Amino acid sequence: MSSSESVKQTVIKQILLESNTANARQLIEKMNENCFEKCVPKPGASISSSEQTCIAQCTDKYMAAWNQVHQAYMARIRQEVSNNSFSTV
Amino acid sequence: MDPSVSNLDLEQLSDKDKAELRQFVSNENQRTRVREQTHVLTDICWKKCVTSSVKNGALEKGEQTCLANCVDRFLDVNFMTLKHLGSMRQG
Repeated sequence: MSSSESVKQTVIKQILLESNTANARQLIEKMNENCFEKCVPKPGASISSSEQTCIAQCTDKYMAAWNQVHQAYMARIRQEVSNNSFSTV
Repeated sequence: MDPSVSNLDLEQLSDKDKAELRQFVSNENQRTRVREQTHVLTDICWKKCVTSSVKNGALEKGEQTCLANCVDRFLDVNFMTLKHLGSMRQG
């Protein structure tokens, strides 16, 4: 591999690592917030088994919601681009 | 930052690889903006659409529809706000 190619690959790898880490951090932060709100309405002395079940299910559900929202958002972006409405805003 | 990156000699990059990197960074920026907006939208629409207690790890049909509508209507409001502000500036 040429030195130019190896420098390029290193930079790309590092950027992907950092952007994926930032993305995961944001997802976890919001998931924590929303699932805590939903599953632990009245914090007790310890976390109950039903709360634990709820947290596990809520985590899965939040990720499903993220994917659903992402899909709808991407579809809307494509639609707006094809209508060329970004230039008018 | 990763030491392997801070030690890199960017002068070694060929013009072609520089152009490719610029393109990569620009694509990655756009992908990041979309993902960040998705985090914001998911937070807002989760609060509006997932109102009952969690029974399992999957979305219910009504919740799915609600989430998709929530995204579309939120963006409608976004466009309307901009349009209204634009007309205020002209008027």
